[in-house]
Amino acid sequence: MSERNYRLVAILMFVFLGLWALISLFPYYFQFITGFKGIEEVNRITPTFWPDEFMWSNLDLIFSDETNVAALLDTLLIASANTALAVFLGSLAGYALARFPRQAGGENMAFWILSNRMFPPVAILLPMFRAFDTVFGSTDNHISLIILYLVFNMPLATWLMMVFFRDAPRELEEAAYLDGYSPLRAFFKITLPQVVPGMMSVALLCWIFAWNEYLFANMLVGSNVAVNTIQTPGFVQGAQKLWNLAALFSLIAVIPPVVLFLVLRRYMVRGLSLGVVKG
Amino acid sequence: MARVVLDNINKIYRSRRGNVHAVKDFSLSVEDGEFVSLLGPSGCGKSSTLRMIVGLESVTSGEIRFNDAVVNDLEPQHRNVAMAFETYALYPNFTIEENLGFPLEVRGVSKQDRKKEVRRIAGLLQIEDVLDQKPGALSGGQQQRVSLGRALIREPAAFILDEVMSHLDAHLKFQMMIELRRIHQSLGRTMVFVTHDQMEALALSDRVAVMHEGRLQQFGSRDDLYHAPNNVFVAGFIGEPPTNFFAVQPEEADGRLTLVSDDGATRFQPSDHRAATIRNRGGNSFVVGIRPQNLTRVADGLENSIAATVLLNEYSGERSILTLTSGDARLQAVTASGDDVGRGQEVDLFYDPDDVLVFDAETEDLLV
Repeated sequence: MSERNYRLVAILMFVFLGLWALISLFPYYFQFITGFKGIEEVNRITPTFWPDEFMWSNLDLIFSDETNVAALLDTLLIASANTALAVFLGSLAGYALARFPRQAGGENMAFWILSNRMFPPVAILLPMFRAFDTVFGSTDNHISLIILYLVFNMPLATWLMMVFFRDAPRELEEAAYLDGYSPLRAFFKITLPQVVPGMMSVALLCWIFAWNEYLFANMLVGSNVAVNTIQTPGFVQGAQKLWNLAALFSLIAVIPPVVLFLVLRRYMVRGLSLGVVKG
Repeated sequence: MARVVLDNINKIYRSRRGNVHAVKDFSLSVEDGEFVSLLGPSGCGKSSTLRMIVGLESVTSGEIRFNDAVVNDLEPQHRNVAMAFETYALYPNFTIEENLGFPLEVRGVSKQDRKKEVRRIAGLLQIEDVLDQKPGALSGGQQQRVSLGRALIREPAAFILDEVMSHLDAHLKFQMMIELRRIHQSLGRTMVFVTHDQMEALALSDRVAVMHEGRLQQFGSRDDLYHAPNNVFVAGFIGEPPTNFFAVQPEEADGRLTLVSDDGATRFQPSDHRAATIRNRGGNSFVVGIRPQNLTRVADGLENSIAATVLLNEYSGERSILTLTSGDARLQAVTASGDDVGRGQEVDLFYDPDDVLVFDAETEDLLV
């Protein structure tokens, strides 16, 4: 290819990526400016693309309401506990399926676990609701959601961890056995560190699912416990919908996943490319 | 320190696609302090045997004993064996020093003693300068030495070495062989060495066990394997270039027994002792094996010879390997270097009747 063609490709690439960035970033931009508009400016018929005045006091309004802070903390607790459980149990199950496929039920068991994600989630809503209501007396608590999200996150974690464990060389464990380690100790000291990148990406996927989940949270919790997704539509004053506060609150709720992703990005790339390229 | 005894071992891998009988009626006794090699082509069951000895694979039937204790049901960590793996199996997130010290750490050796031992082993294997690195930064040869070092650092009942030299270059391999031999002599421990390379096996071990298709073919010293191979497989597998084989029939004339190849072109004179065995046994088809090294162009007092036509003369500097035809058969002979014969030339190859190995055509076993 000639020099000119290279430049053309480069220009086209930047035009295309620029357009893509514009389209995908515009909602965040609009959310951001809406969050700092006054309610009067939000309700104008002609939208403004830059606030007349930045209402930093909106932040105070959000954080002065305890239920908002509580919702963020509840979501954090539920998502983190659920992720920890899903990754821990998924690692053990994935290890069993990877190393002892016959004893663990083989391909059929692995497929059955994955198939739990295939039916429509609503199908399990009613039985789950009844079960939690009977066992815990109410569904409006943390533990209900933590367990419920396992239904979706555990199959994912198990399946992915199985793939990662399959790729981890078996000789290392065998060497550790011969060097005197018990299987459990070899698992935690030798095998697990090899799959940490994969585990991090699994954890991130689980955590983001739990953080963003709306349907089940809306059905199960709401008064004692609230999560960010059901708190967001709740910003009303009489018949007035407070779009600016809703936008600002959801903007705040976007920050934790973004930060988490940035911190774990290194693992994420390595983890998701694990098993794709050998070596 | 231990005597390792395998008593009638069988290993059957069961899977949905059918069973694989990997090791068949295998019996072997390795004396305390002996260096034994398991030698065989890929897929002959030598790795399965090894994994059963260390306990990574269950035994389908038979008994494994260390000294007189049956260890069949003992977990690997309780057998007190050390193994070096073909794939090195170094712990990637530990430094070389931690890797080497790992077996000692598990046993609760103090940090100071550990450090001292690690230095000693590293010095022995010439890897002192990489102790603070991670395995990923090392070359294949260095990794292999670390893996060997990790096995050597403690004092197990037996060392098991699985193809530990397959990734070393020729020069380093030679050094490591001397080193390993020296280590064995100074420690006096039982070592079982698995390889597909007969050069390594013959050079290192007191005795070699040759395996083929899951069965033990022969267990003996290098002299046994070379001069009295149990069967056609061992005769063909041991020695480089491989033994020449001819399908022959016995022919009696003037009270002398001659073995004539099936196409009638090549005649062999067995030793009187073997001729008597053939007569006693009867039968009409045998296999003659003769090593290329035992065919010479210089008569030097030898009376018997076969006529052959040169096809190819491979000159390697120290010796020439001749590929020849005799009748329909193709054979090889090793001659001194500078033997200047070319394609198409007719030559006489002399041999000693004692070097003519005769096998039963049916069972492929050696006639003694």
